[in-house]
Amino acid sequence: MDNTNTLTTDIIIVGAGPAGLSAAIHLADEFKKIGIKKRIMVIEKGNAVGAHILSGAIIKADAFKELLSAEEFNALPFDSEVTHDTTFKLSENGALALPFHPPVMDNIGYQIASLGQICKYLATLAEARGVEIYTSFSVNELLYENDKVVGIKTIDTGVNHHGEKQKNYQEGTRVYASLIILAEGTRGSLAKELKTKFDLRKGVEPQVYSLGIKELWSVPEGNIQAGEVYHTFGYPLESEFGGGFVYGLKDNKVAVGFAVGLDYEDPSFDIYKAMQVWKQHPRIAALLKEGTLLEFGAKTIPEGGWDAISKLYVDNVLLVGDSAGFVAMPALKGIHLAVTSGMCAAKTAALALVKKDTSEVTLAQYKTLIDQSRIRTEMYPYRNFRAVMSEGIFVGGLKFGIQLLTNGACLFTPKLKRDNLTLKRLLSFRGTPFAKRFKGKLDVDKKLTFNKVTSVFYSGTQHDEVQLVHLHVKNNYEFIELNMKQYGTPCQHFCPAEVYEEHRDKEGKLSLKIHAENCVHCKTCDIKAPNDAITWMTPYGGDGPQYQNM
Amino acid sequence: MTTIISLMKQVPLPSQMRMGEDGLMDRTKAKSIINVDCSFALEAGLQLRSMMHEARLIVCSMGPPSFEQSLKTALAMGYDEAYLLSDRKLGGSDTFTTGLAISKMLRHLGFGRGLNEDFIVVAGRQTSDGDTAHVPSQVAENLDIPQATFIEDVQFVEGKIIARRIIEGGYQILKLPVPCTLSLTPTGIPPRRPTLAGAVRSRASSIKIFSIDDINMREEDAGLIGSPTIVAKVANIKSERAPIVMSTGEDSKTLVKDLMHNVKQGKNHLDAVVKKEAKAVVIPEAYETVDFRKGASGILTWAEVAGGKIARSSLELLTPARHLAESLDAGTKVRTVLIGSQLESLAQELIAHGSDEVIVIDDARLSEYRILPFSAIFAQVIKAYTPEIALFAATTAGRELAPRIGVKTQSGVTADCTALEIGVHIDNKKKVVYAPILESRRPTYGESKLATILGFVCPQISTARAGTFEVPTRDESRIGLITPFTPQLGEKEFVTEILETVRGEGGLSSLFEADVIVTGGRGAIGDEMALVKELSSALKEQGIKCEWAVSRPVVDLGLCEYARQIGQTGKTVRPKVYIAVGVSGAIQHIAGMKEAETIVAINHNAKESIFSHADFGIVGEYEEILPELIEAVKNGFVFGLEAQ
Repeated sequence: MDNTNTLTTDIIIVGAGPAGLSAAIHLADEFKKIGIKKRIMVIEKGNAVGAHILSGAIIKADAFKELLSAEEFNALPFDSEVTHDTTFKLSENGALALPFHPPVMDNIGYQIASLGQICKYLATLAEARGVEIYTSFSVNELLYENDKVVGIKTIDTGVNHHGEKQKNYQEGTRVYASLIILAEGTRGSLAKELKTKFDLRKGVEPQVYSLGIKELWSVPEGNIQAGEVYHTFGYPLESEFGGGFVYGLKDNKVAVGFAVGLDYEDPSFDIYKAMQVWKQHPRIAALLKEGTLLEFGAKTIPEGGWDAISKLYVDNVLLVGDSAGFVAMPALKGIHLAVTSGMCAAKTAALALVKKDTSEVTLAQYKTLIDQSRIRTEMYPYRNFRAVMSEGIFVGGLKFGIQLLTNGACLFTPKLKRDNLTLKRLLSFRGTPFAKRFKGKLDVDKKLTFNKVTSVFYSGTQHDEVQLVHLHVKNNYEFIELNMKQYGTPCQHFCPAEVYEEHRDKEGKLSLKIHAENCVHCKTCDIKAPNDAITWMTPYGGDGPQYQNM
Repeated sequence: MTTIISLMKQVPLPSQMRMGEDGLMDRTKAKSIINVDCSFALEAGLQLRSMMHEARLIVCSMGPPSFEQSLKTALAMGYDEAYLLSDRKLGGSDTFTTGLAISKMLRHLGFGRGLNEDFIVVAGRQTSDGDTAHVPSQVAENLDIPQATFIEDVQFVEGKIIARRIIEGGYQILKLPVPCTLSLTPTGIPPRRPTLAGAVRSRASSIKIFSIDDINMREEDAGLIGSPTIVAKVANIKSERAPIVMSTGEDSKTLVKDLMHNVKQGKNHLDAVVKKEAKAVVIPEAYETVDFRKGASGILTWAEVAGGKIARSSLELLTPARHLAESLDAGTKVRTVLIGSQLESLAQELIAHGSDEVIVIDDARLSEYRILPFSAIFAQVIKAYTPEIALFAATTAGRELAPRIGVKTQSGVTADCTALEIGVHIDNKKKVVYAPILESRRPTYGESKLATILGFVCPQISTARAGTFEVPTRDESRIGLITPFTPQLGEKEFVTEILETVRGEGGLSSLFEADVIVTGGRGAIGDEMALVKELSSALKEQGIKCEWAVSRPVVDLGLCEYARQIGQTGKTVRPKVYIAVGVSGAIQHIAGMKEAETIVAINHNAKESIFSHADFGIVGEYEEILPELIEAVKNGFVFGLEAQ
């Protein structure tokens, strides 16, 4: 083994999002308190901290108060405080403002922010504490010894589409560590591997996701005030779970977003296009009038809730943040829980390193801390929310009402299904297919509405052309027969970045074209493709979107 | 142990330079990267090391402290040491001063004639924010060592460098001794990615920062004060395309007919913005007029000979040369330097196109262009004739020759100009007027601005972008002098050997030279580009410089090599006619071809955005339209261009 390409450290944190950085900051604080020196390395695949971070974001700031000193807390780059919060029930042309806020969805007093900017700031605080942060490095392997995770390896670079070494080939670096914290974010690849290998999902509900798409706009003075917040449900969605948001930011910027549960049935449903339809609603269009698009991005949100959380640790490894599934529903807030989980993991890790015992037995403390934290208080009572909502807003809304009175218990709670199991085949889908449903609303004007390729440009996405295609189709023949012929190639619809294209040659032969370079790393394909036909693998470090203020 | 010295510049990421609302490139939000060409040079250095027993790798840069970030990346890639020349007094340096400063830094590090001579300098061909390609040449001249620029492949064999140099329509294999300077194009081996272990090492290592005092550079030689050229003015270029002319017709035959008709009628033009009357330059009476030419007079041009013929770009050069001569003192001569062997008829041709005097250097050793003897000859000709202006076509030769000469004459160079005028320069600080002076204008900042650059040391040297000026009409009755010139050349000028010169199809650099580019996109892959290639060959057969290219999806599908890709991540081209077949018109593609003079779009989908960026359009299946178009070309339709 090449010794110059192998490192050892005490702690590795994979992912510099709010969970990973909070873990790093709190660990450094804990070690300082105890009075020991330990090396903490954070490895991030984005080309900068924040480049792969996307959120609404309305933040409950309390968790940051626990993480940071008062001085540090006060310098957090929040944009504006929420001053007005209205929820609309939209119909095709109308909008009914709810006279009240749906339970636990009142945001007054919370902070609107760019989570990317918050993470950049947290990174400076972590580095000031001696944490080493390395960006543009993808970790695509866990290293095992005696069936226990002992380290990670970064991706081999300088290979072609077939994986053959090129002249600029560089083998990835092996890093051995006492403890590894996986903070990869939603649908993390290493977390996925770990969950399968150690059967961590045994006895828990399947994780379900929404795909959230966000656009950042600059609008003329007067369209919306900073701190003004709108949430919508209803049109253009019917049976689908989800809705939109519009957050007024400083300097006449606006964050608009649209999130839809991936448990929909129509194989031709297209969340990106649904968002374009939504923007044309007079109420939303008015807020964006004469504005210009600045940035675009998308990510999935694990929203299965408390009962979908897997086991959170194995020997030498802890799972935090979105990788673990810490998102509070129906508020759809995960940032403060990510911070809290990072802190719980840090406390556990510090204890384990002091005891020099990073086995499961010691790491079980992590679960205890989670159970004592706001993560349980905020997630447990609403554990069945997403499940009942799969029955639609009316039945679901009623059942959710009952749950509020019973601390979450409810009779007739349907079982959650994995998102790719809800999709119907072309022949068995009974509803109106997407294109027909929104006929006449799908043309784009390139002012208010866009096509996917143009939007991808606004995400700053770049991928090295020379590497393995990071979207792996399990079996080409099966894919064509099942995903394409029977489902009508749903990936071309659910992908918000036009990565997938159905191609039919002159003889009518079907094939799938993959434009991996467009990928914004949202992971929807990994989640929603029938038969788990597509695996999202980590591309080279630094590739992917380059979000600035998402 | 040989030392490999990589020169590197940090630049704003070109792809993040977005089009602002005003139609101009907005580079304020762009983050910084290692200049792409420089990153290929970094890799070339690492590759060279792997061909040697051992080597020391150092990376040098000049710029603000923020450049440390990129130097750290170089260290993470495997470089051993990093040095940054960073001094506020260097602010405003032109390329001449930059070349001088870097050479002084290298000498300070112990490399140069009379010092450690076992070193190889590798640099990027040019930077994306400056685009001049001057600095490698100037460093080589300042260090008095051989050079090879526009290199895409480099080998180290038995103590010598074997380099493959891109030339117009082909390549050359050169053999250079050590020490030497190489500049790399971004077409060779792409830069490796740093390993995490490399990044960890780099984090722990430090970068040595030099000031101008450290490297023994005098303040009066540095920065703006030391620069022989200045940027006098920067104006915005508004680039917008007038509405498209769509072909109408029943079938592909009539559609193509209508296209031919439309092309003949001409494209739409935007209403010309009424230009404000240029204000007459008012020169305060108290100001003294300075004629800094000190007796220098006349315009010197270089007639580049390739394959026994004068390059078209060198004939084009006679248009601005004559225009400048007429704007200057009566009797100002246009002299052209012609180097090679058996040149008699070529000299006559130059006179017919506008030269007053052709200075002929006839030497069998010089039948192929080579930088060292050619730059030495120019230095001697300039000394003998003292021209006030010297012009070179911005070819791969001109772009390395002019800056090397610019160091010998201490006058600096303006690169890649699209307009050359005589004007005046008012210096309100010194209360003097410099007149007459050459105003060299060149597009800059991603073609969004037009900079006017002035030089105050004669000869004022500029290179002119090929294709910008017309070739002057041939007039056989023109009379001129043909003067032989015998230069003093030593063995030193012939240390670099040309092992092989290949001119021909050349494929890829010819994309930059083609008058017509036929590009196939995702919508034209049904026949694996067969029709696109066929249209291209048909145009070639008509005597049109034509190449075919593709958009990114086609490369991704493995149907074509990357080198033919047009667009943000591929090549930026500006042919006279650009024919987009089945190209959707993604914003990334438009960035690479929007400067084309005329754009023709063929696509079956009328809604594709390519139609909002084109001058002429046909909606139809390419499988039906192209055969008709090819037929039309075979019958002589060449989009209004002239066959060569």
